[in-house]
Order: sequence, then C-alpha cells, then structure tokens
Amino acid sequence: MTPAITTTGLTKRYGKVAALTDCTITVPEGRISALIGPNGAGKTTLLRLEAGLSRPTAGQVIVNGGTPRQDPAFLADIGYLAQDIPLYRRLSAEDHIQAGAHLNPRWDSESVRERLASLKIPLDRAVGKLSGGQRAQVALALILAKRPRLLLLDEPVAALDPLARRNFLALLADGVAVGGLTVVMSSHLVADLERVCDHIVMLSASRVQVCGDIDDVLAEHQVLVGPNKDTTAIERDHYVVQATRTPRQTRLLVRLNGPVIDPAFQASDVGLEELVLAYLGEEASAAPGPSGIPAQLTTVGDEGK
Amino acid sequence: MTWLVWRQHRIQFYVGAALLVAFAVAIVITGAQVANQFHAAQAACTAGHGCRHLGGLFMGSDVVGFLVIATLGAPLVVGLFWGAPLVAAEVEAGTTQFAWMQSVTRWRWLRFKVGWMMLAAAVWGGVISALVTWWSSPTNAEQLNQFNPGRFDLMDLVPVGYSLFAMGLGIASGALLRRTLPAVAVTLAGFIAVRVAITLWVRPHYLTAVTTFSSVVNNFTPAGAYWKIAQGVLGPNGKPIPQPNGIPFFNGIPQNALPASCSSVFNGASTPAPACAQALAHYREFITYQPASRFWAFQGIETGIFVVLAGGLVAATVILLLRRDA
Repeated sequence: MTPAITTTGLTKRYGKVAALTDCTITVPEGRISALIGPNGAGKTTLLRLEAGLSRPTAGQVIVNGGTPRQDPAFLADIGYLAQDIPLYRRLSAEDHIQAGAHLNPRWDSESVRERLASLKIPLDRAVGKLSGGQRAQVALALILAKRPRLLLLDEPVAALDPLARRNFLALLADGVAVGGLTVVMSSHLVADLERVCDHIVMLSASRVQVCGDIDDVLAEHQVLVGPNKDTTAIERDHYVVQATRTPRQTRLLVRLNGPVIDPAFQASDVGLEELVLAYLGEEASAAPGPSGIPAQLTTVGDEGK
Repeated sequence: MTWLVWRQHRIQFYVGAALLVAFAVAIVITGAQVANQFHAAQAACTAGHGCRHLGGLFMGSDVVGFLVIATLGAPLVVGLFWGAPLVAAEVEAGTTQFAWMQSVTRWRWLRFKVGWMMLAAAVWGGVISALVTWWSSPTNAEQLNQFNPGRFDLMDLVPVGYSLFAMGLGIASGALLRRTLPAVAVTLAGFIAVRVAITLWVRPHYLTAVTTFSSVVNNFTPAGAYWKIAQGVLGPNGKPIPQPNGIPFFNGIPQNALPASCSSVFNGASTPAPACAQALAHYREFITYQPASRFWAFQGIETGIFVVLAGGLVAATVILLLRRDA
C-alpha cells in the first residue's frame, strides 16, 4: 500500500530560522498519526507543508502519491484544519455548509447538519457568535463533510471539553475504520492521542525524534534499571534517551539496538506518555532554558484513561 | 465560487447600490432644474441679440455641485472599502486557509473574487460618471470647460478607469501587506499620488500640443472647449516676454516691454499712436493648446493608462498569491 505521506529531507526555513530540518517520515495509509512536540518544534510547519499551503525550502513531500499542488483533485483529497479554526465569522454554519457544497466535488451537507443538530449548535447563527468549542465543532464537522482521504488537523481538540474531545476522537476512529481515511493530528494531550492513535511522529527543535507505529516504537524502547555503575557499554550499543542516576540505582530509557546482555540491568516496557516525556525532557536538558516541557504535557497524567 | 463571493460581499454590494441610488436621485432632480434654467437662458439669449455662449450663468444647487466635485473621490470608495480588505481581511482572519483548502485552486479563487470586484468597480465608476456627465452637460456647453482638470476627470470614460485602478491598487496592496489598515493607507496615498502625477505631468503630453501664432492686435482664439497649455507674447527678438505682476498691460504686453511710442495708451488714449501700432506688428502672440476635438482621444488615452495600471496590479496580485506561502 502506498503511504499517505512520505517526506524526504524536508526542510523549511523562515529567513535564518529553521522551522523544520531534514525531516524524513512516512505515514502509512489508514493510520491515525499523532504529531507530538513542544511548542515551536515545527508541527504546524510540517502540516502546512503537507497541505501545500507552504512550500519546502529543501527536500520533498509526497502526499497521496503526489507533490502538494494547486489542483482541485489534490485539494479534494486533503482536509486541513488550522489551529486557530478559520471560519468566516459573519457567516452562519449553514452558509459554510453551502459554500462547501459549491466548492467541493464530494460533499456531505447532511452529515454536518445532523452532527451540529445533535450537538445543539444553531445552524443559522453567525459562527463568530458561537463559543470557541462550538466553532471548533463546526469546523471539524465541515472538514469531515469534505470526505478527504487525508485529514491534517492542527490541535483540533484543544478547544473542546473532555467529553466532546472523546466523542470527536471516536468519530475519527470510526472514519478510519470504515477505510480510505488517514489522519495526522497534532496535540499536547498525550492521553487523548494514546487512546486513538496507532502511529506517532515526534518532533523536537525542528527535527524528527521518532516516527513509526506506536506498537513498534514502544517495542523498540525499554527501561533498564540497575545498580549505579558505569554504563558506557550500554551507551555504546544503544541510544540512551534519558538517564536518571541516584547513589543506589541507575534508570535508563533506551532505544534498543539488539538485546541487552548486561545481567545487572532489569528491562521493562515503557508507556507512551513516559516515552514522550523522556524525549521532550532530553530536548529540554540539551537546550536548557525556560522553553521546557509545555505545561499541558506535565498534566496529562491527570486526564485519566 | 460566485456563490461564496456573493455571500461574503453582498452587504458591501447593498451599501454600494444604496449610495448609487441616493446619488442618482439627487442628480436627476437637480439635473432637471439645471437643464430648464439652461434652456430658458438660451431662449432669452436668442430672443435678444444672439450670443455665442452664456457667460457666468449660475446653475444648479450648491450642495449637489459640491457632490459632483466630490465624485473625484468616488473611486477611492471602492478601492478603500472593497479592494484593500479583499485579500488582507481574509488573511488577517485566517479564512484564506478555509477557502484555499476547499477543492478550489488559489488561481480560481482569485479569478472570481477579483473578477467580480473589478466588474463592480467598473459599474460603480460608470454609473457615477454617466450621472455626472448628464448633469454637467449644460454647464459644459455654457462654460466650455470640459477639458479642465476637475471637469475632465469627472466625466465620460475616465471615471471607469480610475475606479478599476483604485480597486486594483486596493487589492494588490492588501495582498502584499496582508493587513487591512496599512493597505487602506497605501491605497489612499497611492491613488492620490498617481492621479495627481498623471494629471499634472503626463496628461498634457498625450498628443503634441498645437501652438498657433497670431498678431497681438487680432489675437487667435481656438474653437470650442480647447485646453490651454500656455499662452504668451514673443517680443520683436522672438523671445517670450516675461509677464510680471503689478504692471499695466496692453494687448497682453507689459508696459516695460513696449517702446516709448506706446506710452500714450497707458495714459488714457483709446488707440495707439501710429508708431506704436507699427511697433506692435513685430510682436507675436502665441497659444499652445489641445484642440477641443481631441477630447475623446484624451479620454481614451487616460482611461487606457489607468486600465493598464489596474491590470498590472491585478497581475502582481496573482503572481504574489500563487508564489508566496499561504
């Protein structure tokens, strides 16, 4: 099966600032891919490059088998929702539905009307007068009505309450299960992503840290716990993501590169949240300063699963 | 796309249409009065001794007269309120990211948005111009001033060109600056600057002006509503005579440039002395002008210039929006 997204050495610079550096990822078709990274890591840049809203400085991006381009057929297959949920504030949801019907070859007006009715969101009120969460629901319903093959969602659930979030994610999972849909969504809410996503792309400081199916990624990583001793042998064979040392013990989160042979260390599996925090923490320690782990990430444990 | 353009901009359209209707009502009511006055005066004139034209007849209402002059600024209305926000306001609100992620290319989006706006601008300029032209025709016939700046610019074809240009300038500066307020400022300043520059420095040269020499005694006046570019007197040496202020003139020649034999005319003599008359034969008056018959050529050239400018601005907008990241 051809991948929904392939990027090779994708780089985007704004002046001298690199927003995305040498990004090579693959998102297979039919996945719900979580795009994770701290603020300013390049998530929005990557999504915009995939949508064709901006053009790469170097490298290439292939979406649905072709380079993003100004072509109705290409655009019809992409659903992109920007972070600030752009809608015409003076137009109503119904106006947007009709605009969509005029501008898209496949368009399911009824699905939007039904969905908004079930959410008790008025169709005839200017969307500028709706609450932020309602506006997000309108935008999400519209993007699904377009019936794209690939959904690119930039923090789609940020404005939703926990229940609405869960419902929307379930809707996405249904859409993917039916087939023919791939989703890439960025979010800081790891607990949410963990529930529906089966693929992960982790960015940090404009570079890709991790890309792959979540099961594979988790299988690649292990936590090693052992006595406080010299670990250069392990570091030579494996990539240590995070090391915590106390006088009594050493705890290493490593990306495995074959089996661990040191019997002094006990290996155990790692959870997605821990893995994410470890990668983000590594970035924070590599570049010390106030830009550390986003506040939301530190609280994901409270969400409950 | 047409549906979306209409839905987005229909309020602007209603406001524009309402303004046009209000203007039309004022123009038609007072225009009829003006026409009546004109015909009455003309009838009185022919019943009397016959006259070439009715100098100094005041016609129409002050307020509407001001309104007519104010239509000089009418193209700015569409440029500032329709053109400048067309792209800029959408970029500011982020809605380009909505529109450009439907199954519509940016080129198609632009074609429809800009196309309808340009059409609206042409209709706006055309309707106002038609009303003003009709309203002013008696005044023009009476004052022979259709070539004057402030008259020429209000009538016939050119207002259409100005409106298209203002719209194009608004759209292009909005697309370039991506913010409405700076785009409005640039449109305002740019429109005035270009209009003034072309009126002052380019328009007189559309066609080579005609210069006619005549005797200072029986000087020559071109026919009809000609446009005077320059006028003066050449001395016996063939050089133009400076025309200072505060000095008495005779036949367009200042006293200090005339021979002593002519001094009597400044002391109350009704005819110059023979020596003076002889001397005057060596002076020549000249007038440089655009003949009245060139009015339509000038209208056409000026309209063409502004239409080409508008086209260039639209082309720049297209290139900018298709090349630049959204």
